[in-house]
Amino acid sequence: MSMFDYDARPATPGVVLVGTRASRGAYAIRDFLSRNGYPFEWIDASQPDAVRAVLGGVDVEPSALPLCILPDGSRLASATVEQVAAGLGMVVAPSLSEYDLTIVGAGPAGLAAAVNAASEGLRTVVVEAVAPGGQAGTTSMIENYLGFPNGISGSELATRATVQARRFGAELLLARPLTSVSADGPGYIAGLSDGTLIRGRAVLIASGLEWRRLEVPGVDDLLGAGVYYGAGPSEALACAGSRVVVVGGGNSAGQAVVRFSRYAQQVTLLVRGNDLGASMSQYLIDDVTALRNVDVRVRTQAVGVEADDRLRSVIVRSEDSTEAAGLRADALFICIGGAPRTDGAKGIGLVTNRTGYLVTGSDVASDPSARWPLPREPLPLETSLPGVFAAGDVRCGSVKRCAAAIGEGSMAVALVHRRLAEVGGD
Amino acid sequence: MTDPKVVARPDAAVSAEFAELASDERIARAAAALERNGIRPLLAATAADARGLVGSLLADGSEVYNNTSQTLEAIGVADDIERSGRYQPLRLRLYRMDREMQRRELRILAAAPDYVVGSVHALTEGGSLLIASASGSQLGPLASGAGQVILVIGAQKIVADVAAGMRRIYEYCYPLEDARARQAYGVPSGVNNILVINKVMTPGRITAIIVKERLGF
Repeated sequence: MSMFDYDARPATPGVVLVGTRASRGAYAIRDFLSRNGYPFEWIDASQPDAVRAVLGGVDVEPSALPLCILPDGSRLASATVEQVAAGLGMVVAPSLSEYDLTIVGAGPAGLAAAVNAASEGLRTVVVEAVAPGGQAGTTSMIENYLGFPNGISGSELATRATVQARRFGAELLLARPLTSVSADGPGYIAGLSDGTLIRGRAVLIASGLEWRRLEVPGVDDLLGAGVYYGAGPSEALACAGSRVVVVGGGNSAGQAVVRFSRYAQQVTLLVRGNDLGASMSQYLIDDVTALRNVDVRVRTQAVGVEADDRLRSVIVRSEDSTEAAGLRADALFICIGGAPRTDGAKGIGLVTNRTGYLVTGSDVASDPSARWPLPREPLPLETSLPGVFAAGDVRCGSVKRCAAAIGEGSMAVALVHRRLAEVGGD
Repeated sequence: MTDPKVVARPDAAVSAEFAELASDERIARAAAALERNGIRPLLAATAADARGLVGSLLADGSEVYNNTSQTLEAIGVADDIERSGRYQPLRLRLYRMDREMQRRELRILAAAPDYVVGSVHALTEGGSLLIASASGSQLGPLASGAGQVILVIGAQKIVADVAAGMRRIYEYCYPLEDARARQAYGVPSGVNNILVINKVMTPGRITAIIVKERLGF
């Protein structure tokens, strides 16, 4: 007599995480588990009865927080994301000594490339710092993606793409960021944070964006304690009945507002520009403006925060007023666009534009500082290094939309074939 | 059908008769009847054998939904499905979905898995399967939504006929499940839906593994 099949919970034990809401480390683990779809039970350390119930009647030392109990019963005190990932068997070694294509990033562009490359017989490996899906993976509902008339959530799209890529034989190495890329004959060696080295005949950088920081005093100190970058899917339930502030005017901010409006008592969207139309899709504008518990404030910025052990209010200032005002808030979600995530690839000297996006194709050819080494022109999506391609949000000139990233990732594979033919063996 | 309001009392004394393993003769009779009804019967001497049989029936990489089932948990099948990495365990996929934003995806995904693995509350000697549900959510996939259905059935669940099966649900399973639901979820259970499978139109779609051990309730 099953009770909750639609609210299904795993029949087998998951992870138990004990921590405080104000802990940045606990938030990082919650976010990691949530984005990887790993079931976990959150126990607030301020609830002693609940803590004793999972720890067999004993209390937890504050120094041991966050405490993670793995499905096999082993305990990680002062746990980190890396320890949890390793403890859950999510950190696996590459199975081959060489790949045809190393893809950096498992967002829409990277996963599309993985599906296409692996389905065409290329030995394909994807390295991903956190979880499949990228920014799109935290999107609550993409309503304008082709073929899904009722919309599809970013996480479900990422899950399906991951299954599809693996079915064709692509390998996904999760939970380890790229730290280096170095030349290796006509190919490249990618280094990961745990020392893993991956030899690839071609590389596709599809590492996307990281959230741009909100330059407001005190915000960084509250990360995980009421302040979050992105839509924070792990926090949605915790927002039930609370007051939420979202900062940003793009689709990510719009998606976050729609999601949190389902849980929160009140959502306030702070937009620096004059209206939402500048950077938000019309369907999202329609959704956001139709929600009764959402207050959209244009020409308004967050200029400060007030907190004790966690966020209590956001100080906002409207361009139409000289006075700053306090806005009671239990959570602040910052979705103000991103900066290209190119840290691991920088060392090899890829040419970027002034804001750090990877320059590709004809832009490389026309840039004398790129010192393009081959007699042929760079291929579209090819960076300043032959055989290193870029696709999706990280690429200079890309359209910052999920469908566009998927298109670029798919297109890149055809170009990789041309490169592999050039260096032989394709 | 008996009025559940009258019969279904969670505090009723659990009828011990429904906990007894069926004899080999009755097991054979039920298995033969299942086959006549288009349901493939497999016999397992032990829980371990049943676990192996389930593993041999599931295709690698397929979408598998394991129903909430004491039987599956007891014999390790739930663990195999959710943790082995051989399949796409839909329970975990549903779990990660946003209950507010993704209700439609939840509903669709749960409705038509490649395989549903579960159990029943009663198997009659005439080859009928009875499954009760509070939410009703797993009954559609069992009846037609799932591509393949694998049911693991402890031999104590064999009853004479459908009427005895109904009695087993109300007088035996319901009190035990209600107690479990109150402890696990903090709410009572209910005999809100009952599926009776007498015969299948696609022979072989359902496999019933009868285990000569007392499993689940």
